[in-house]
Amino acid sequence: MTDVRPPAPRAGSRDVPGGRGVGARLPRKEDNRFLRGKGQYVANIRVPGMMEVAFVRSPVAHARVRGIVKPAGMEGRVFTMADLAGVRPIVSDSGLPGFRSSAQYPLARNKVRHVGEAVAMCVARTRAEAEDLAEQVELDLEPLPVVADMLQALEPGAARVHDHWDCNVFLDTLVDDDLAAVRANAVITVKRTLRTARQCMAPLEGRAVLACPDARLDQLTVYTASQLPHVIRTGLSECLGIDQGRLRVIAPDVGGGFGYKAILLPEELCVAWLAMRLDAPVRWIEDRFEHLSTNANCREHAYEITGYADAAGHLLAIDCDAVVDSGAYSMYPFTACLEAAQIGSILPGPYKMQRYRCHTRSAATNKSPIVPYRGVARPGVCLAIELVMDGIAREAGLEPHEVRLRKLVRPDEMPYVNITDKHFDSGDYPECLRRAVDALDIPKWRTRQAAGEPDGRRVGVGLAIYCEQAAHGTSVYAAWGIPMVPGHEQCLARFAPDGTLELRVGAHSHGQGLETTLAQVANEVLGIDPARVRVVLGDTAMTPYSTGTWGSRSMVMSGGAAASACEVIAGRVRAIASHLLEAAPADIELEDDVVRIVGTDREMPLAEIARVWYREPQRLPPDVDPAGLETTMGYKPAADTGTFSYACHACAVAVDTELGSVEILDYVVVEDGGTLVNPLIVDGQICGGAAQGIGTALYEEMPFSDEAQPLASTLADYSLPGATEIPAIRIAHMETPSPLSTFGQKGIGEGGAVAPPAAILNAVNDALAPLGALVAECPVTPDRVLDALRRAGESRA
Amino acid sequence: MAGKTTLTIGIEVNGEQVTHAVEPRTSLADFLRDTLGLTGTNLGCEHGVCGACTVEIDGAPARSCITLAVACDGASVRTTEGLADDPVAEELRAAFKAHHALQCGYCTSGMLVTARDIVMRLPEADEARVRVELAGNLCRCTGYMGVVNAIVAVLAARSPHPRQDP
Repeated sequence: MTDVRPPAPRAGSRDVPGGRGVGARLPRKEDNRFLRGKGQYVANIRVPGMMEVAFVRSPVAHARVRGIVKPAGMEGRVFTMADLAGVRPIVSDSGLPGFRSSAQYPLARNKVRHVGEAVAMCVARTRAEAEDLAEQVELDLEPLPVVADMLQALEPGAARVHDHWDCNVFLDTLVDDDLAAVRANAVITVKRTLRTARQCMAPLEGRAVLACPDARLDQLTVYTASQLPHVIRTGLSECLGIDQGRLRVIAPDVGGGFGYKAILLPEELCVAWLAMRLDAPVRWIEDRFEHLSTNANCREHAYEITGYADAAGHLLAIDCDAVVDSGAYSMYPFTACLEAAQIGSILPGPYKMQRYRCHTRSAATNKSPIVPYRGVARPGVCLAIELVMDGIAREAGLEPHEVRLRKLVRPDEMPYVNITDKHFDSGDYPECLRRAVDALDIPKWRTRQAAGEPDGRRVGVGLAIYCEQAAHGTSVYAAWGIPMVPGHEQCLARFAPDGTLELRVGAHSHGQGLETTLAQVANEVLGIDPARVRVVLGDTAMTPYSTGTWGSRSMVMSGGAAASACEVIAGRVRAIASHLLEAAPADIELEDDVVRIVGTDREMPLAEIARVWYREPQRLPPDVDPAGLETTMGYKPAADTGTFSYACHACAVAVDTELGSVEILDYVVVEDGGTLVNPLIVDGQICGGAAQGIGTALYEEMPFSDEAQPLASTLADYSLPGATEIPAIRIAHMETPSPLSTFGQKGIGEGGAVAPPAAILNAVNDALAPLGALVAECPVTPDRVLDALRRAGESRA
Repeated sequence: MAGKTTLTIGIEVNGEQVTHAVEPRTSLADFLRDTLGLTGTNLGCEHGVCGACTVEIDGAPARSCITLAVACDGASVRTTEGLADDPVAEELRAAFKAHHALQCGYCTSGMLVTARDIVMRLPEADEARVRVELAGNLCRCTGYMGVVNAIVAVLAARSPHPRQDP
């Protein structure tokens, strides 16, 4: 049996003092090793005889490869695609009609299509020596015209990134509608032209791969800093042409992911191939220069968006044309078009509207590929629609929250199917907005705004509200037709003879704290002390198949699977306990590490059940389930349309109109993540996400030259927010249980990063509105503020 | 061609005297990690910005990624492994855990070295000062809330004059 119906939604233990189950603010189990410097990241693994790889990378964005000259005498230590003959390219197609396919060879063949594309691989005893070798490899490149900008890429006559395509578009999508009547009748029309910068996700640990051949098992073990080891194994197998059974992929401790580690890398293929070729352990550790200048980016969007409203500020319709710069190749498994296609489906956000039209294009350029970053397209679409909503408020002479309240889906309308067929599961969006407005105290800021600041800066307030589809499953991804469609999530649960419990799941944790929260789930079901629960993650040899950790899915899916597996084990524990305690199974309760006859003091340690099963089987009941205290169970919510967490972010900023600088004076998040499994961890996710969103809003940008040269090559050029840039964020919770998940929990991992760009730009524009200036580009750097002020001054003159 | 020339240095690491031949180009971080196997010090950027590799050199926090090992001849170095039995570090570890000051853990070793320095050097520091002092240690996961709260809590617990909350 691999499947059960999910258990009915049940109350958590969040009101139980000293509780250790669902709802407990439990400190994390995994902290101990990290606090003592014992985190096992790939770069910390030492294997005897390990060799190191450095790559020769393209210095230009677009060129034909005419020749690669290996240094004399070093031919056996330098490898090109000619040596890797037989290794297949990474091809990641969407099943959506019209998708144009790209082929990314692990080392460039014929052409290079972005700066940093790997051309040759050099191996030596140390990275330093491998880099010495790489410096001696000569490339003969014939420069080709460069496609550096996504809008130029779409122009007729633009150079082609892929010679066999008829244009530079991976995919064109259209959600069509007839807006003629709305256009004719709308009193308010707000049009915005927006752009968001290319970003680097910048987990503090970069990508890292170590491949070790094992002759006894006829197997290659690949350690990789990844969010989805099982998917990497499938991808490696397909490209290398070897059975999946001959590959074991282990993602050990992973130093942050955020989406960056949810792709199959050319470097993973290269290192795996080389370890087999040399029959020796080989590793490649991405350095920060490679992260910033060559590997996957994210978030570069352009929007032409128009909102139509009536005179009272009721949003009637949205019309949008959006372009995403998808870079040169389609990444495995999420493809080059997921982001743009998602724009079409999620742009309406939490709002109701009569009409909706959205055209999207995924543009191919001579830049590194993109990978979905925390929130994927949501920060961009939230920015787009929320700037329009503020524009409508301004035109209608209303407060921003007033126009939003008119069109937010109401709780009495839940569950609600929106205009793009998204199934909102539960919640009270208007109340969330009201609480955020109250928490920020907008009237206080309006008074202060009217009085003016003593230092001459201008104060503004901004809001953004969004809902986030999470843990969406089979039907949603089957419709996208990408190489990876999530099905059932599974968990193996088993007791050891000493009564400790092991949970094995195929998702992974790279900071989210699953070792703790899954142990809390086990406590909730079995009453076992979380300290006696071991959670095993990230190893294809140890865990059931999983598409991994992405899409804010793990606590719903792996949490659901862990609960299902523990429920089955609990039933078997009850059966054994009823025999040993001489009571009906239904009268046995599991709590605080004991099994007890309900309402009596007749009990025995939970561990005693395990001991009897393994070591004194002669005491077991004759009809005992021979499957024992071990099971693998699958979980899938009854509806796989996803849980919808939501939040409203509200902030106040001060803008210096002389310097263009922006300071956040207060920042409030009101969030509904359904039942919170561990509020301590949820707050950490929200605050960390918001910090990344503040980076998107104000600091982070990878600029490119006209030749598509990335211009930020160190963290001194690519600005990540530090402790002085991030304010003390105030978080408040609503807890509307999802009707779809085991405990009512909703996925919340990405949400924090979604709203800050919208909330902060709205606040900046609120501050600048009296001057007639509008900033419509992220990040809001001092230059962009001053540009907006200058344009406003010119238009007034 | 590099890889031939080496210099021999004498260096105290976590209380033990070490004598070793190193290439002039080898960073202290690589020496600690690759030669001595002290992998508790993680590398985040290797150009001195992110602070993940922060260690103590002669009692003060320093970036081990942009410090050459040969420049540490005669110096005393302490890494996160050397803080295992340090009582201040132990208070910080407990506070980091209680305040959820780490997620992926990659910046944590460097954070603890900096945090210990703040606690020892600035016993009167308030939250704003703690944030300024932490500005050289990037964390990509937590948004700094837990880290700041943990350090402020340790400062408060160690203070002979507990601050009155307004």
